[in-house]
Amino acid sequence: MLSAIRPKSRVIFGYLLIPIVFYVFAVFVPLMTAAFFSFFNWKGGPNKTFNGVENYLTLLKDSVFWQSFGHNIYLVVASIIGQIGLAFIFVLIINSKLVKFKGIHRTFGFFPSTIAAVSIGFIWTMIYDYKRGLLNWFLALIGNAEAAKVWLNDEKLVMLLVSIPLVWQWIGYYMVIILSAISSIDKEIFEVSELDGANAVQQALHIIIPLIKNTLLVCVTLCVAGNMKAFDHIWVMTKGGPGNESMVMALYGYNISFAQQNMGYGSAISVGIFIASLLVIAGTQFIVKLVSEKN
Amino acid sequence: MNKKLLSTVLATMLAVSMLAGCGKTAAPAEAPKAEAPKTEAAKTEAPKADDTKAGKLAYKGEISIMHFSTSEESQGNGGSDGFRTTLANWIKAHPDIKVNENVLANDKYKPQIATLAAANDLPDVFELQGMNTKAWAKQGLIMDMTDIIKKSPYADKYDQSKFYPFVADGKTYGLPVLTGGTCTVVVYDSKAWKEAGFEKFPEKWEDVLKAKDYFQSKKKDTIAFGNSGKWQMNSCFLSTVGDRFTGSDWFHSIVEKKGAKFTDKAFIDALKFTKDAFASGVFNKDFNAINNEEAREYYINGSAAAFIGGNWDVSYIQATLKGKPLYDTTKFAVVPQPAGATASTNTQNIGLGFAMSINNKLAGQADKLAAATDLCYELTGKPFAEYVGKKYALGGLTKADVDLSAFDQFTKDFYNYQYVDTKPVDIYDSFVSSAVWDVLNTDLQSMTNGKITPEEVAAKAQKAYESNY
Repeated sequence: MLSAIRPKSRVIFGYLLIPIVFYVFAVFVPLMTAAFFSFFNWKGGPNKTFNGVENYLTLLKDSVFWQSFGHNIYLVVASIIGQIGLAFIFVLIINSKLVKFKGIHRTFGFFPSTIAAVSIGFIWTMIYDYKRGLLNWFLALIGNAEAAKVWLNDEKLVMLLVSIPLVWQWIGYYMVIILSAISSIDKEIFEVSELDGANAVQQALHIIIPLIKNTLLVCVTLCVAGNMKAFDHIWVMTKGGPGNESMVMALYGYNISFAQQNMGYGSAISVGIFIASLLVIAGTQFIVKLVSEKN
Repeated sequence: MNKKLLSTVLATMLAVSMLAGCGKTAAPAEAPKAEAPKTEAAKTEAPKADDTKAGKLAYKGEISIMHFSTSEESQGNGGSDGFRTTLANWIKAHPDIKVNENVLANDKYKPQIATLAAANDLPDVFELQGMNTKAWAKQGLIMDMTDIIKKSPYADKYDQSKFYPFVADGKTYGLPVLTGGTCTVVVYDSKAWKEAGFEKFPEKWEDVLKAKDYFQSKKKDTIAFGNSGKWQMNSCFLSTVGDRFTGSDWFHSIVEKKGAKFTDKAFIDALKFTKDAFASGVFNKDFNAINNEEAREYYINGSAAAFIGGNWDVSYIQATLKGKPLYDTTKFAVVPQPAGATASTNTQNIGLGFAMSINNKLAGQADKLAAATDLCYELTGKPFAEYVGKKYALGGLTKADVDLSAFDQFTKDFYNYQYVDTKPVDIYDSFVSSAVWDVLNTDLQSMTNGKITPEEVAAKAQKAYESNY
């Protein structure tokens, strides 16, 4: 019976071939090409000279690259706490019986994640603007005008300030994922726990988190992968500045390759980003697994 | 069976179309057809392309050209309008030649053309940025145009000083294009400065510091500046101020690698002055967080008494202020002389940052090369020069008489500022290498935020210079 409706292998293969060809062309080929070019001293044009691992040795000593890597990690941590953590709390609030118009909350919560990162960057740049920005206007309104500052030029705060739009944008996205995971939990478990006298916090810690652990792991992986390649909104807001204080790896790689036209070293940076991202994602999964196994 | 066949065919077509999309095509992906200028004035005033020349060109086929004179840009920019008009006329005069235009805004053009150069896939004709000349010539990407330039019908009218950024090893690689525009000009409200006690804009920086107190009391910024893009402080301030401290020989020595260093005392002094000037409170507090487009709005809306920017900003300010009182009181001045700067005075950095250049691959195709050459002659020659001179009072590579009497005071003043009353100096980032300027520009932001010293900025720039140029 099953084999009667099952398509032939070559049909399955034929359909699969389309995304595979696309994936190979869009991801695999550029990665391999970048890996190849990373062994050359290539400032663009037809002439390039093989220089072995020199680009990688430069990369290891490149303080701006490592500073950028640190900023990416900052974004990852801020986003895991800000995006997934807050999304989880918001979902619990929305799920509570006290909250009305749940659908509206869900829809509006999800809305920012549909906006292009460039637009988000512009919106938040306007909020932070020194003379016309909402933030400084609000500070003046509450009689605290002396706290107003050129926010995006503050070296100590700039990473936090560029993280906030990211958190704001993606909370709704993770809310939807976590909501769907929680809705798949059998309602009887909650009813029984309520009869046993469990409060909301106890339900969250001892029922919800263990049961949606795998979904949370997926969320963390998505969050890490998304933030290791952060580029657009930082490009719009600060261009990595002031100086290199909000520089991230992808932006640095872009600057080296296209603004400085150093394609060989730019390729080495791309490979460096790929390896660093893989290690961070693997490391995060390892830590999450370790923690959950202990529990 | 039929359904199966259909699905197989559709799947194959989809796959093929995806692959075809990735393949190299003869025409660039974004190749809008050349549009004739929309304004009636442009149509009537535009000089007719020399019809006799059309007969001389034997080439029939396609020519690809890439440039950044977008239709939006041409609305307020004379050089851009002149370029589009001259190009459209040339296309009209040569019906046998299909011109594939790829037009991108300037900030998108630069990385795009660099990527095409890296892939050895440059269009037939394009705009070469001065600082790429040496590297691209070394790679054999661009054609040596020394003889082409000598044979130009407009050669005797060329302003020879404009070629300097496009020379490498004694050979010239392009015909400087568009209009010579200043990169550093102080645009100021003469009325506001008069009220502050200055009949004209101060000639010494110390006097600007004195004016600061007055403007602060009026809750105005003395000078508006925007550097969030990082390049502005270099192009629109340091390039002029640096020359005041070092003189032009120093920069020529840097360009020609004759021994000058970024760590030389005179350049460090220029950096120190820049640091102090931006720390003095003369500029708007958010200069590192806004770009030049936002900063000029501070001037336009009256919250700043002056603004420092380039000719592109002046075009915008002129278009926006026309008919308002501030238009009549707006005047132009050079950056006031810093104390201790003795190498030059009354200077502003001006030049043609781009040149029409020809892909070296055309070397073996005589007819096509002749057509490309003719196009470059027209875009930089008499037809262009007369159009921008007559319509906008602007000058380019080819000298043309400009009758100033037809223009208003604003335009006259700006013409005199750019071409008559001041001394021209080089624009730093028309030369050397973007790898050097990218490092320096980033560090200038850190320096004006007080994070690093001028000496550290100079040392890092020197390191980038030695390893990339």
